[in-house]
Amino acid sequence: MARSSGRLSPAGRIVVPALGALLLLIVVLLAGIASGIIPAVVGWIGGVLVANIAIVRFVVAATAILLFTVPTAFVIIFMELKVIAFMNLRIGPNRVGPWGTLASLVHGLKVLSKEDFTPTGVDATVFTLAPVVTFVASVMAFMVLPFGPGLFGVDLNVGLLYFFAVGGLTVVGLLMAGWSSFNKYSLLGGLRSAAQMVSYEIPLTLSVVGVIMLAGTMSLNGIVQAQSGSFLDWFVVRQPLAFLIFFIAAVAEANRTPFDLTEADSEIVAGFATEYSGMRFGFFFFAEYVNVFLLSGLAVVLFFGGWTAPFPWPWPIHLLVAPGQLGLGLLAIAIGAPIVGSLLLALPLWMLRSNWPFWQAWIVGLALFTLLALGALGIYLLINLEALLGIVWFFIKAYAFVFTFVWMRATLPRVRIDQLMGLAWKWLLPAALANLFLTALAILVVHQ
Amino acid sequence: MATQIPSLDDPQVLVQTPATIYDAIPPYAPRTEREAEFYTLRDGEMLVNMGPQHPSTHGVLRLVVKIEGERVVDIDPVLGYLHRGIEKLAENADYHHAICYTDPLEYVSSLFNELAPVMAFEQLLDLRVPRRAEYIRVLACELNRIASHALFMGWMALDLGGLTPILYSFIERDEIVEMLAALTGQRMLFNYMRIGGVNGDLNHEFLSRLGDWMGHALRQVEANTTLLNENEIFLKRTRGLGRLDRRTALSLGLSGPNIRACGVPYDVRRAHPYSVYPELEFAIPTREEGDSYARYLLRVDEIKQSIHIIDQLIHQMPDGPVMANVPRRITPRPGRAWAAIESPRGQYGCYAISDGTDQPYRFRIHDPSFVNLQAVVPLMPGNLLADTMAVMASLDPVMGGVDK
Repeated sequence: MARSSGRLSPAGRIVVPALGALLLLIVVLLAGIASGIIPAVVGWIGGVLVANIAIVRFVVAATAILLFTVPTAFVIIFMELKVIAFMNLRIGPNRVGPWGTLASLVHGLKVLSKEDFTPTGVDATVFTLAPVVTFVASVMAFMVLPFGPGLFGVDLNVGLLYFFAVGGLTVVGLLMAGWSSFNKYSLLGGLRSAAQMVSYEIPLTLSVVGVIMLAGTMSLNGIVQAQSGSFLDWFVVRQPLAFLIFFIAAVAEANRTPFDLTEADSEIVAGFATEYSGMRFGFFFFAEYVNVFLLSGLAVVLFFGGWTAPFPWPWPIHLLVAPGQLGLGLLAIAIGAPIVGSLLLALPLWMLRSNWPFWQAWIVGLALFTLLALGALGIYLLINLEALLGIVWFFIKAYAFVFTFVWMRATLPRVRIDQLMGLAWKWLLPAALANLFLTALAILVVHQ
Repeated sequence: MATQIPSLDDPQVLVQTPATIYDAIPPYAPRTEREAEFYTLRDGEMLVNMGPQHPSTHGVLRLVVKIEGERVVDIDPVLGYLHRGIEKLAENADYHHAICYTDPLEYVSSLFNELAPVMAFEQLLDLRVPRRAEYIRVLACELNRIASHALFMGWMALDLGGLTPILYSFIERDEIVEMLAALTGQRMLFNYMRIGGVNGDLNHEFLSRLGDWMGHALRQVEANTTLLNENEIFLKRTRGLGRLDRRTALSLGLSGPNIRACGVPYDVRRAHPYSVYPELEFAIPTREEGDSYARYLLRVDEIKQSIHIIDQLIHQMPDGPVMANVPRRITPRPGRAWAAIESPRGQYGCYAISDGTDQPYRFRIHDPSFVNLQAVVPLMPGNLLADTMAVMASLDPVMGGVDK
């Protein structure tokens, strides 16, 4: 065996044993099915799953969200690299992948492969736990965010309260990092984050009370449904001041420029993350980007109608004939349409490009037909599958907000800590209270 | 709680110092009263090292900041991390050779570093420089001044957390640097001034680049300032911050934009005219406020004045040689000379003593960054930690010049 595998190419050394293993697996499976063991086991597992459908749903949703954070963070990092580069009149990443799209993936791999270093003097337990706490808090808040109709982790009836309660835990992680790092910059960063995020929780929470009053529910799903209709039904129209307060507070809550005091590089080096390296540092920044998406998503859900379209689709599409009724006709269409369509598309190409032989034009025509057919199918599915359309709208809106976050980072300088606190307590809090009072008054007047 | 200052007499002091006081306190007994007072911490106070390695110190300046919470109580700048002994090196070289050592002093505006020594040596030699050479010198220097101020604008924004302005101002700076590279052959350490003139005449590439740039220079300055001038956050961060009054500024001996921002119209180009400046028409912008914002705006105004000066220089440029007849080996009569010029940071002086040999007996550089840096100590206390960088940026020191 050793001699025969020695003669194989490197790829062959993997493929040959894999083929053997596959053969063995097939034999075992066939034997299992024939003897009735596997169907029994599958049936039992299925029964257990069906009996605990709520738990299954929760586990699936949690896993999906946990996995979803990775591409989200990568996309936002890439946006940050590329958008800021364009705003700075730079090219930005352009080496890895087309237009540098894999740059953030490579960043992630770099962070993974770095040494996991714990400096002397740190409180090792707290130091290790801090990034985990921060990341987990962000991911937990994700659970209640509705991405589309029926697409959410859990639909809590106190979803918004849960969101703020869990989202507020992020600060504990940052404070732990600042405290345990045994570094003065970290300590300052941690204390800054505590002061900043605790202060901004208040206007953030107060600004959405108006929305809760209008929607009559704290479930994020319910809030989205209360805004369905056209874009005039979105709460940003009825609560513009609340949206402004919410957005400013959200920027502070996500620790983004101009409120990124906790990691102000020109003052306190990297703030709470100064002593971190490798994947622990990576977790902090994962958490930050997840937070950016989370708050963008929340802004969309609360004020911009969540997954609802800004206007109902004006031309409902209904197939006049059910495909099943056509019988043999369906077969004829399935065979005939590509031939006729591609010939029709190929004809002008063939006539225009006199040096092309016909079969070449036909191949191009077939490719064009495939693209058109797939596009038509995609549009048909998008319009008729509400969930798909909802996701698309949600992501368009959420990434518009993410873009705004990135745009602000490229444009604005940083505020000072006293100005930051002054803004929260002297302006945002009274404005939020006034907004709350006016909303309550308006609801009272309308209801009478 | 007064922290015990470890004594240098104890050889184990650094090894055995417990980690809790492993910080900015120097491992020797205080040498001055000021040091003893500064390194004695009261309750709630903490020392933070800003630098020598820190993302936003300009070069390797170390600021030991004593803070109480976020508020700065006191500040102690520690210098010398970039000391290269350039004065001494220049004293061991002959006169021609000494000039190229001065380039890396203040590396943002190298041409001024060359101009002052060259002028001092010419005084020692009683040498008359051809008029065209004088014009070219002033032209190159004013271009360098714009490049330096443009860089300042970007730095200032970067220290306040704005990412973009520095890249915009680097466009402007790079155009000028490319231009000067076409003229002098170098992008940063030009080595262009010579005793008795300049290294080479204006060439075609330089002139065409200059012409292109003059077409959009003012517009570019205006465009670059739009991101900051009326930015609410920038105004809040800089207006009223680090306010220097006229008396303090004068007593500290500040010069350049920093003192003109306090309302003192002192500019060496006007106060002690040199080269062809008496023939040029230009204003000396001053401001009364004396705060960081005034210092920023003043530099923007100076860029505009420099563009105006360059415009005149191009139109009045005389013909003739660019180099006087200067022997390879210079032996001036024994004597001493002082030449001062207005560099982008203030009065840049060179003091040279000749003992009759072909090497300067003493070669001394008076650098404005070093003097301006003194203002850090009275300006900082009472501000917040974030403001240290805003004030430092607005004073615009270059550590290459401070440490020599």
